Amino acid sequence: MSITARTEAPVEQRPRHRSRATLATGFVILIGVLAVVCFFSITMGARGVGLSTIWKAFTDYDPSNASETVIRELRVPRTLIGIFAGAALGLSGAILQGVTRNPLADPGIMGINAGAATSIVFAIMVLGTQSTSTYVWFAFLGAGVATVTVYGIASFGREGATPVKLALAGAAVTAILSSITSAIVMTNVSALNELRFWQVGSLAGRYFPVFWQTLPFLVIGIVLALGTGRALNGLALGEDLALALGQRVRLTRVVMFVTVAILCGAATSACGPIVFVGLVVPHLARMICGPDYRWILSYSLLLTPVVVLVADIIGRVIISPGELQVGVVLGVIGAPAFILLVRYRNLAEL
Amino acid sequence: MKRLLLVSVSAALFLAGCGSSSDDDSADAKGGEAWSYTSGDGKTYDADSTPTRIIAHGPAAAALISFGIKPIAIYSDGPVDQDKSLKDLDLSGIEILSETYGQIDAEKAAGLKPDLIVASYWPLEKAYSGFEAGVEDSAQKVKGLADVVGPAEGDSVVTKIEGYEELAQSLGADTTGEKIAADKATFQTAVERFRTTVASKEGLTSLAVSPAEDLLYVAVPSEASELSDFTQWGLDIMTPDSPDPDFAYWENLSWENADKYQPDFVLMDDRDAANSLEVAQGQPTWQNIKAVGAGAVVPWPAYWMNTYRDYTDQLDQLSTAIEKIDPNLT
Repeated sequence: MSITARTEAPVEQRPRHRSRATLATGFVILIGVLAVVCFFSITMGARGVGLSTIWKAFTDYDPSNASETVIRELRVPRTLIGIFAGAALGLSGAILQGVTRNPLADPGIMGINAGAATSIVFAIMVLGTQSTSTYVWFAFLGAGVATVTVYGIASFGREGATPVKLALAGAAVTAILSSITSAIVMTNVSALNELRFWQVGSLAGRYFPVFWQTLPFLVIGIVLALGTGRALNGLALGEDLALALGQRVRLTRVVMFVTVAILCGAATSACGPIVFVGLVVPHLARMICGPDYRWILSYSLLLTPVVVLVADIIGRVIISPGELQVGVVLGVIGAPAFILLVRYRNLAEL
Repeated sequence: MKRLLLVSVSAALFLAGCGSSSDDDSADAKGGEAWSYTSGDGKTYDADSTPTRIIAHGPAAAALISFGIKPIAIYSDGPVDQDKSLKDLDLSGIEILSETYGQIDAEKAAGLKPDLIVASYWPLEKAYSGFEAGVEDSAQKVKGLADVVGPAEGDSVVTKIEGYEELAQSLGADTTGEKIAADKATFQTAVERFRTTVASKEGLTSLAVSPAEDLLYVAVPSEASELSDFTQWGLDIMTPDSPDPDFAYWENLSWENADKYQPDFVLMDDRDAANSLEVAQGQPTWQNIKAVGAGAVVPWPAYWMNTYRDYTDQLDQLSTAIEKIDPNLT
């Protein structure tokens, strides 16, 4: 009789969150979902391309065949950028929310998008940069400098970079950078045209050169990010407790911000500023996995690319034969999703 | 820059134009006789005296200056030093009211007390250059300062130039001088050369495009004055089959479909030539246009020519380029 008695654990003693096995199964399922989404991302678009042609594009590529070029040189890099940039945005959002203990943290509050945009406009106007491949580096540089500046400003004072100070410093730096950008843009029309891309994120028109340029940073950032789970769990307990547990809080924070700067800078330079996804998906991941950041990060890694690619596919078909930028689609579906999250669930006690 | 800057206009809208004042030299119009001109919109405009204080759109100013009428101010669609129509013109003493499409310094314009505004008329948009739907309110206000007149776009650059000549005459210019007659004569020679060159290339086809980051714009020849002329003179320019219903100057092709039309040579919008070429070359499917692979890409003097001299230069360059094109590529 003891056997049955032991298996019928009282409800209140059941673990609050899903078991490790369930979460692992979910992770595998997510990989499958991502694969399906990738399939659609490669097969759907402005040009109708048959499955046999797609197969041939991978097995026996003929660059003079336009349909095969579209698959190999347009849709494949577009999908890859969506996967990697999406993963970077999701991870950076999760880390930012954890490290600032601010449920509304996203790359926007760190002034990262503003940093990238200002840097690019500066490059065009002052240095006369013309080529897209060079912009990428300036976007990255600007994002990094903005992150460092914000963290530096927030670090003044005895208690270091607290969540509130970080948010305030981020807002202030964003305001300064935006006004610099406006000042430059107002005097020059060609900068305005170039800047259009850096105002709304898009996966269109981003091909292999951009992908290869940003890939090393994305990979480094993603690897670093996946290693921060334990430290984030510590920080979530509160700074004092984390210190008491022997964490080197200040160093941890610095490493995390560097990681975020790498991730956001690379993602922004690859596909422009994409908002909401870095804010919403980590919350979604937290709803599924509970408070363990190791799982939140793992789920964000896969969930964000799925959301980005689905949004991109929607953008391709919804106003066909035209296209809606993925940044716009994510804004439209991201905002109500976020309101639902806030409405039906108390935002995680970070 | 017209026709393509549409997208950037919305972004430009938030940039409020900074107000500035100018000296108020209130010289009243002194032209003696009553004045009248039948404009591109089909209406006849008249005044008790001949207008003398003229504000003109950049290319319109180029036309007026070529016939001996100097405006007091111009507004340009982009930086004046990059406006192809204003190249090599003496602009001393002429106020610059705008170097950005969609904006005109209304305060400065009002201070100049203009009695006429000159710009080309776009029948598709039912508007004169600089006053299309989508430009800033301040620019639209300038329209109210004086009558806006000018010949229509679309049918022919030749008739457009003749329209400007007629306008200049009505404003008191003598267009019978030797220099103008010589310009017309060399222009006729250039036209004959173009006709002969095209005729010698049996089966030659072309496509006029303007590459952008997100789309490849394919021009509808009948809506571009110079393309209408080229067609008239024997060049076969492909007409895209599904122009944008809201902006029928172009068919908007996704880069995925860049190979939809296969001409023997490509005419590429020359208004921002270096940038356009770089944008196009960054697109993998650009190479799937056979003419591009064959190096048959020729500058298209798009929408800006308004003088016999400019037109002669451009026609000669086109003829030279077309002589080298293989008419049997596609």
